[in-house]
Amino acid sequence: MKLNIEGLLVYFPYDYIYPEQYSYMLELKRTLDAKGHGVLEMPSGTGKTISLLSLIVAYQSAFPLEVTKLIYCSRTVPEIEKVVEELRKLMEYYAKETGERNNFLALALSSRKNLCIHPEVSALRFGKEVDGKCHSLTASYIRSQRHTDPNLPLCSFYEEFDAVGRQVPLPAGIYNLDDLKDFGKRKGWCPYYLARYSILHANIVVYSYHYLLDPKIADLVSKELAKNSVVVFDEAHNIDNVCIDSMSVNITRRTLDRCQNNVDTLQNTIHNIKESDAAKLKEEYRRLVEGLKEANVARETDVYLANPVLPDEILREAVPGSIRTAEHFVGFLKRFLEYLKSRLRVQHVVQESAPQFLKDIFEKVCIDRKPLRFCAERLQSLLRTLEIADIADFSAVTLISNFATLVSTYSQGFTIIIEPFEDRTPTIANPVLHFSCMDPSIAIKPVFQRFQSVVITSGTLSPLDIYPRILDFRPVTMASFTMTLARTCLCPLIVGRGNDQVTLSSKFETREDIAVIRNYGNLLLEMSAIVPDGIVAFFTSYIYMENIVASWYEQGILENIQRNKLIFIETPDAAETSMALEKYQQACENGRGAILLSVARGKVSEGIDFVHHFGRAVIMFGVPYVYTQSRILKARLEYLRDQFQIRENDFLTFDAMRHAAQCVGRALRGKTDYGLMVFADKRYARADKRGKLPRWIQEHISDGSLNLTIDETVQLSKHFLRQMAQPFRQEDQLGLSLLTLEQLESEEMLKKITQIAHQT
Amino acid sequence: MDEEPERAKRWEGGYERTWEVLKEDESGSLKSSVEAILYQSKRKRMITSHNQVRLGMVQGHRNTGNIGLLPILLKKLMRHLYVVIDCSRSMEDQDLKPNRLTSTLKLIEKFVDEYFDQNPISQIGFITTKNKRAEKLTDLAGNPTKHTTALKKAVDTVCGGEPSLYNSLNLAIQSLKHMPGHTSREILIVLSSLTTCDPANIYELIKTLKTLKIRVSVIGLSAEVRVCTVLTRETGGLYNVILDESHYRELLMMHVKPPPATTSSECSLIRMGFPQHTVSAVMDRDAKPSFSMSHLDSSSSCDPGLSLGGYFCPQCHAKYTELPVECKVCGLTLVSAPHLARSFHHLFPLQTFTETPVEELQGERFCQACQGELKEKSMFTCPSCKNVYCMECDLYIHDALHFCPCCTHGDAAR
Repeated sequence: MKLNIEGLLVYFPYDYIYPEQYSYMLELKRTLDAKGHGVLEMPSGTGKTISLLSLIVAYQSAFPLEVTKLIYCSRTVPEIEKVVEELRKLMEYYAKETGERNNFLALALSSRKNLCIHPEVSALRFGKEVDGKCHSLTASYIRSQRHTDPNLPLCSFYEEFDAVGRQVPLPAGIYNLDDLKDFGKRKGWCPYYLARYSILHANIVVYSYHYLLDPKIADLVSKELAKNSVVVFDEAHNIDNVCIDSMSVNITRRTLDRCQNNVDTLQNTIHNIKESDAAKLKEEYRRLVEGLKEANVARETDVYLANPVLPDEILREAVPGSIRTAEHFVGFLKRFLEYLKSRLRVQHVVQESAPQFLKDIFEKVCIDRKPLRFCAERLQSLLRTLEIADIADFSAVTLISNFATLVSTYSQGFTIIIEPFEDRTPTIANPVLHFSCMDPSIAIKPVFQRFQSVVITSGTLSPLDIYPRILDFRPVTMASFTMTLARTCLCPLIVGRGNDQVTLSSKFETREDIAVIRNYGNLLLEMSAIVPDGIVAFFTSYIYMENIVASWYEQGILENIQRNKLIFIETPDAAETSMALEKYQQACENGRGAILLSVARGKVSEGIDFVHHFGRAVIMFGVPYVYTQSRILKARLEYLRDQFQIRENDFLTFDAMRHAAQCVGRALRGKTDYGLMVFADKRYARADKRGKLPRWIQEHISDGSLNLTIDETVQLSKHFLRQMAQPFRQEDQLGLSLLTLEQLESEEMLKKITQIAHQT
Repeated sequence: MDEEPERAKRWEGGYERTWEVLKEDESGSLKSSVEAILYQSKRKRMITSHNQVRLGMVQGHRNTGNIGLLPILLKKLMRHLYVVIDCSRSMEDQDLKPNRLTSTLKLIEKFVDEYFDQNPISQIGFITTKNKRAEKLTDLAGNPTKHTTALKKAVDTVCGGEPSLYNSLNLAIQSLKHMPGHTSREILIVLSSLTTCDPANIYELIKTLKTLKIRVSVIGLSAEVRVCTVLTRETGGLYNVILDESHYRELLMMHVKPPPATTSSECSLIRMGFPQHTVSAVMDRDAKPSFSMSHLDSSSSCDPGLSLGGYFCPQCHAKYTELPVECKVCGLTLVSAPHLARSFHHLFPLQTFTETPVEELQGERFCQACQGELKEKSMFTCPSCKNVYCMECDLYIHDALHFCPCCTHGDAAR
C-alpha cells in the first residue's frame, strides 16, 4: 500500500499495516526532518524492520541529497540476512508499483569467514584463521614479492577483483551474503573486498555493530562513509556494553607469555632483515620522522570517521625518537612487557587510574607517556616493514600495544584493575589486568558527531531517558510504542509468594533459604503441568541455577517435573547449549513438552527466539542483577555517579530490568503468538522495578496480578491458555490491530494512532 | 442444546473473575471480545457445515426386504469413528466437576446417543490411553447400548501416567484401515494431558494417517498443544480447546454432524440390504430359534440371543437382531428405511437463514417460532417464506428440526 506520512509518499510492501508501524514511521520521519538522533522502542514482532526500511528508502528517493545512505547495524548474521530479505520485498514492491527498476544498491557485509569463496581459505573453521590466511595471500607486500617470485601462492579472486573489479561498480540490486558470493563466483572476484569497496557507493549497507563501533575495525571499513547518512542500531538495548567491550583490554599471564614469543620473533626478524636488507629499515625510519602527516591531511577534510583510539593531536606529531628505530622499539616493548609481568605478580587487588599507572611506569622503568601513545601505530608500521604475513599470530603483541596507546591517551573514563585471582576460586592464582572502559560514550561519540541522524531502536529500551544519558547525546525524538492487540496475547504475572505465604525472592539474604527454593520448584512443577509444549525458565546466574537445581534434585521436585516435561539446561559451553536447544525444540515439536533452564544474560536470553510453541511461558526466577561485587562494575557505577549523576541503584535496576524484559520478550514474537510471562520475585511488584519494564508489558500488568501466590498463578494461566487456544483468524484482527489503507485513513483511527506513541 | 446443568455452588466453583467480564470495551481486546469471536465462530460453523453439502439423490429401490443401490454423496453418511479418551493423570484435575474424567464420560455418553440419532448407519468405537499404553474399550460397532454400558463402567478407571498419542492412533488405524473407502474414517481424541509419550516419531504416523485418509480431530481440555495442531491440520480435522463445561459439550456436539467428504470418493454406488423384521414362525412351521450372527463372537453373554424372529440378510439369510449392521457373512450393509430417512437431512439441509440487523424489520419485532421479542442485534430470515427468527430458534431449527416450521405450515395451509 502507499502511505502518506506527513507529505512523504511511502511504499509499504504489505496489504495491511499495524497502527503502531504507522506511528513509528511518523516519529522516524520527524527525526530525519530534524537531522537529529532518535531513540525508539517498539515491541518485537510488530514489524519494526520493514517500517524503518520503508520510510528511510522513501526518504532517500524523495530527498536524494539530504540522505544519501542508510547504514543499518544489527547484531548477528541471521538478523542481517533477515533485514536484507525484508529489503528485497520492499524493492520488489517498488518495482511493481512504479513499473521500473530503481537503481538502489543495497548489500550486506560480514566477516571474511562468511564471505570467502577461496576453496582452501573458506574451509577453515575459525574467523581468525580465515582472516590470517586471507591476509597471507593478499597483503600488499606479499603481492609485490610475487613479482619476483611467481611461485608464491595467490588468491585468484582477489587478483581478479584488484585488476578489474574497482572500475565497474556493482550493478544495482539487493545483495545478501549468498548473493555476493554467487556474484563473486560468477565474476571470479573476491566478494569480501568487493563488498567492502561497494559500501562506499551503496545506498543501503547492512552490517554488524562492530564495523561502526569497534575502533580497530571501523577505521578499516567505515572510514569513508558519507556524512549525510542515516545510521540505525537495531536491537540496541545492549549498545553501551558493546561500546565498552570494544574499548576494554584484558591481559592475563598467557597473553604476556604469547607476547614474549611475539617480541622474540620480531627481534629475530629484525636481525635477519638487517643483514639482508638494511635499506628497508632506513626507509621506515625516514617515514616515521615525517610523522603521520598523511593521515592528518585526510582527517582535516573531515571525511573520515575519527578514530577514538588515536586522538587528533597524535597525528600531528612525529613518532618520538626513542622508538623510531626498530631495535629500540623492540627494546621498548620488552621493557614494557617486563613491567606488566611484574605488575601481575601481585598478591592483592590493585585498582588505579590511568595517570597513576603512567606515573608508576615512569618511576619503575622510565617509560614516558609519549612513546606509549605511539605504541600501536609504531607496531603496525613495524609489522608492515617486516612483511610478516600472518597477523593473527601477533594478536598478543597488538593487544599490548593497543593497551599502551589507550592507557596513555585517556586519563578519564578508564580504570585499571589487577586481580591476583578470580573471586570464585580464591586459591588458584590467575592474575588478570583489566583495563576497563567505563564510559560507553567514548566509542560511540564519533558516530554521533559524524552522521546526521542516528536511530537507536529495540523492543526493550525502557526507561528511554537513560540511554541518551549514558551514551552522552541529545536525541530529538524519544518514543515508546505499544502493541495494539485484538486479543490480550501476553499475560505478565508477578508471583510474590508461595502457597505457604513464603516471600519469593532471589535476593542475597534468602538465596540459600530452602523454603524459597522449594517454592520456586513448586512453581515450575505446577506450571509444567498446565503449560503446553515449551517453557523457558531463566535464573539470575549459573551458580544460582546450579544450586537450585541441585536442591530440587534432592527434594525430588525434578523427578516430578520430568513426568510432565523433559528438562534441558543451558551451560556456558556453546556446543552443549546448542545441542540442548535442538533437543528442546524437538521435544516441543513432537508433543512431549520440554523445559529449558537457562540464564539471563546468557546466549539463550539474547539471541534465540522462542516463537509459538517453543515458548508458551517464560518464568523469570529472581531479578537478574549483575554480579555487584565485581570491581569493574563498582568502578563503572562510581564513574556513572560522578560523571552522569546516575545513582548506582538506578543503573543496577535499569540493567536488571532490561535483561528481564529481554528474557520474557523471547516468548512473544508477533501478534498471532501468545505467551505467559511469569516474574517470580516479589520485588518486581515495586514501582521502581515495574516502572522500568517496557510500556507494552507494563500496561498489561493489572493491579490484581502484582503479588500472586502459586495457586492463583496457575488459575490465571489456565484461564489465559484456554482463551488463547480459541480459534483466532486474521479477520478478528482487522480494524483493531491490523489495518487496510481505508481503515488507516479514517479520522478515528488517526486519532487513536497518535496515542500509541508515548513521548518521554 | 437442552437446559444448563445446575450450577455448582459458587464456593465450589473455580476462580470466577467476574469483574473482568464487566470491563468496558474501549480498549477493544477484552474478554467480551473473545466472546464475540466465539459467537462468530458459532455462526460460521453453522454456515460452513451447510454449504459443504451438495445435493445428491437417494435412488434406492426400496422394495420389500431387498437390496438397493445408494449413491454415495459428498457428505459421508456412513461413518466409522474411533473416540480416544485420555485417561492419564491429568484427567483427575478438578477444573471440570467432579473431575475431568467423570465429566468427559458423561458428555460422551450423550454424544453417543446424539451420534446414533443423527448417523444411524454409522459405527463408533472407543479407545482409552494411559500409562503410555492404549487399550480398546469397545470395538467399532453400531450398537449404542453396548457403548454406553462400557462407558459407564469406565467411570471407575484409575487415571495414571501419561497418554500415548502414537499408540492410540496406531490402534485406531489397525481397524480403520480395513473400512471401505466410501465410508468416512475418523478419529476423535479427547486429550487432557499436555504431554504424550510416544515410542516412535509421530510425524511418520501422521503421514500414514494422511495417506489412509483418516481424519483426526482433537478436543483439548487444557491448552493448545503443537503436535495436535499439526495432526489436525494435516489430516483435515478440527482442533478445539474447551473454555468450560458448556463449551465442551458444544465442541463435542460439533462432531455429531458428518464431516464433508473429500472429492475423491472411491465409488459412487454401494449396495445395501433392507431386511424386514420377520418372525419365522408365521411363515414357516418348522422354524427353530436361532442365534443372531452379531452375538456369535461377542464375549458379553448378557442376553443369549436365541430367538425366533429377526432381520434376515436379503443376500445370505444370516440373522441379526439389530440394525444397522454390516453382514458378517457377505459384508452387505443392512439398514432399515427409517435409518436412511434419518440421515436424509444431511443430504437436503435447510438453507441458511439470512442475518440482518433488527432495525430493518418493519412492524412488530417478535420471533415467529418462540413468539418472543427480538432482543438481540440481529435476526434471521428464512429465504423461502421470509419469516423471521431469533438466534436461539435459528440454531434450534438448524440443529434439531431440520425444516422451517413456517414453510411447512404454509404448505399445509395451501
